[in-house]
Amino acid sequence: MPPARTARRVVTDENAETGTQRLTRAKAAALETSAGDPPKKALATKRSTTAPLNGTIAGRKRTALADVSNVTKKDATENVEGKKGALEKPTLSRSAKPAGVTKQPARTNSTRTVLGQKTTNSGSSDLKRPASGSGFAGQVAKKRNTSSSKPPMVVDDEDEENAPPATNGVKSSVEIKKKTTTVNSTTTKACLKPDEDDDYPSLEEVIKDAKDLDAEDVDDPLMVAEYVHEIFDYMRELEITTMPNPSYMDSQTDLEWKMRGILVDWLLEVHTRFRLLPETLFLTVNIIDRFLSSKVVQLDRLQLVGVTAMFIASKYEEVLSPHVQNFVHVADDGFSETEILSAERFVLAALDYDLSYPNPMNFLRRISKADSYDIQTRTLGKYLLEIGCLDHRFLKYRPSLLAAAAMYLARMALGRGEWDATLSKYAGYTEQEIQPVFKLMVDYLHSPVQHDAFFRKYASKKFLKASIVLRQWAKKWAPKYLDNVQDQPSSGKTPRS
Amino acid sequence: MDKRHPSSFQQLEKLGEGTYATVFKGRNGQTGAFVALKEIHLDSEEGTPSTAIREISLMKELKHENIVSLYDVIHTENKLMLVFEYMDKDLKKYMDSYHNPNGGPRGALDAPTIKSFMWQLMKGVAFCHDNRVLHRDLKPQNLLINNQGQLKLADFGLARAFGIPVNTFSNEVVTLWYRAPDVLLGSRTYNTSIDIWSAGCIMAEMFTGRPLFPGTTNEDQLLKIFRLMGTPSERSWPGISQFPEYKTTWPVYATQELRNLLPSVDAAGLGLLGQMLQMRPEMRCSAQQALQHPWFAEFQQREAARAGQQAAFR
Repeated sequence: MPPARTARRVVTDENAETGTQRLTRAKAAALETSAGDPPKKALATKRSTTAPLNGTIAGRKRTALADVSNVTKKDATENVEGKKGALEKPTLSRSAKPAGVTKQPARTNSTRTVLGQKTTNSGSSDLKRPASGSGFAGQVAKKRNTSSSKPPMVVDDEDEENAPPATNGVKSSVEIKKKTTTVNSTTTKACLKPDEDDDYPSLEEVIKDAKDLDAEDVDDPLMVAEYVHEIFDYMRELEITTMPNPSYMDSQTDLEWKMRGILVDWLLEVHTRFRLLPETLFLTVNIIDRFLSSKVVQLDRLQLVGVTAMFIASKYEEVLSPHVQNFVHVADDGFSETEILSAERFVLAALDYDLSYPNPMNFLRRISKADSYDIQTRTLGKYLLEIGCLDHRFLKYRPSLLAAAAMYLARMALGRGEWDATLSKYAGYTEQEIQPVFKLMVDYLHSPVQHDAFFRKYASKKFLKASIVLRQWAKKWAPKYLDNVQDQPSSGKTPRS
Repeated sequence: MDKRHPSSFQQLEKLGEGTYATVFKGRNGQTGAFVALKEIHLDSEEGTPSTAIREISLMKELKHENIVSLYDVIHTENKLMLVFEYMDKDLKKYMDSYHNPNGGPRGALDAPTIKSFMWQLMKGVAFCHDNRVLHRDLKPQNLLINNQGQLKLADFGLARAFGIPVNTFSNEVVTLWYRAPDVLLGSRTYNTSIDIWSAGCIMAEMFTGRPLFPGTTNEDQLLKIFRLMGTPSERSWPGISQFPEYKTTWPVYATQELRNLLPSVDAAGLGLLGQMLQMRPEMRCSAQQALQHPWFAEFQQREAARAGQQAAFR
């Protein structure tokens, strides 16, 4: 376990990580009027400027999209689309779209403009948002702050208390109760589990020696200790009901996986620019995938689906969500407000208004509890979770398993020690169960960079250069894990990088 | 007949008007059954309100006998209509029209009814919390009553799902009179305990027929609470001076006995109320704990008996 020291950093750091400065309605208004619509300008400028700068990348992407649009199986699509109404209007010209969907825009000066903006704006919003939670935690946690405000205090005791695993006797009764709940969820999981191997210990066996860290949260209102088990059991049920069809691309006539990657990579930039919550990104991607699982969409409507999904996700998750106009601007006026609003109705109905998707961030933070909320691990973990958004191969895995694999890999890369009973318990997965997803993540890290915006975002200091660190790690270790993973027993050996 | 078309419901009298919706009594043209139609006007600028998106998504998850059922959603270009199970009246109207056979102040309910309503209220709240949902607007107008004496939670327009640790939320939640002191003090990191405070206020109101803390402004609301509960200090509430709305100029009130204010409530009832109306959120009982309180003994026994019967039949 990392020293308690780190915990204190958590407070401030995670604030940064979560994107403290978010776009409030007021700020959004300011952006539109006084600041002069920066998003739009950003994209516009970029288009012209950027092309020469990163000709290769831009070229490659455009080709990808262009190819498809040339090939469009228009007839097939129209048959299906004709009936569906809302999304079908082919207002958006093909040529316009690539610019929007392709991410080149996001980089260079455009981004800078936006960042500059942020600094100015955030000042005012700070004034407006008092740090309230601080009352309990003693420490002022800036504004929004999710896992952080309390951990500092908790963690200190936690560490002392947990140091000797043997001293757990007192809590054993609590523990037993807890175990039962976990076991339930394991059973549920069994049906979806990829490969069950009898040679490895089950979760139930593994977590026998796990520590109970929830007892310390009883006095912490933010941890809702009295409901924590019911809530996580419930989320484990929900995550099954909100899974997309992992092979929906088979039924799409006009789309390919590659385009989904490009779209999400671009949305990631929008997400950063609007300073939205991490939850909003994950929900956005889930909305897109579930929608595409049930409706056939033309290439020239794909970006509209993405933007609409983010518009809906913001309304659900954010305290103050960006205006529809902001979304129009950010998409370079590729479609109108009316189109987004009509798409919103269409998407909501297609999903049967079900936005109950349990966010992987919840699971990540839950596991983080078992390593004293180590900020480095969680930051790398967040990066790895987002890989799950970009790379479609992760679609078939449940959010809780993605979170477990992300933390597992992050800890391995940081040399944080083995995946012990307590981690298994809080993750809900044994080391063995994590392997397939872990390997897939290593494979992603080992392959050439496909999603630039994503890579750049996490190459920054703010994110502890997660994307760089992990790629370096993968370069060194991927051959080992990708070649003979089968022979790897669950020894928990962690290579140091 | 197309069930999903607005015209398949006959619109009857208006039942109420909220900030973003109007509720009508309706009749299902096909079955003749009554329904409640909640009509939400769509903002031409921002589309479907976030309140409606959350309400629909959450109500579809929360299926419980003490939570009003959402039957259907009809979404047209300029309006959104939610079709709910019909309930006869809300608790506010129920209290206004109630005549206690044993006398007592106007609007006050009799003790057995109060206990039954509180039991059902806490059942519904516990179910929300178990399913990681905060209601955030519990008040008599949002609790619906039918002729069988059932109580159900309604209006999830301010509700939202939370994670653990709980995210920071808006502090513009809950109607002033039922708003917890920590929220009044500017906290954005409240949790399930804010619903418990509201429930406590509602319980007291059922006994007296009058709202417990009818404040006019945020500040006045706090002072009305302090007048009964005593003005908090760093000693009674460590960390209170860190709240944005903390004032050093508050008048210092001593703590009053609940029993003086609510002479008709028995000791057990006062005990439960005292646990719900704790100023410090971490001291408030949870809905589950409330349900286990001795005041509800008869309901607990009835429930245990029912569970036993069911087990016998299995």
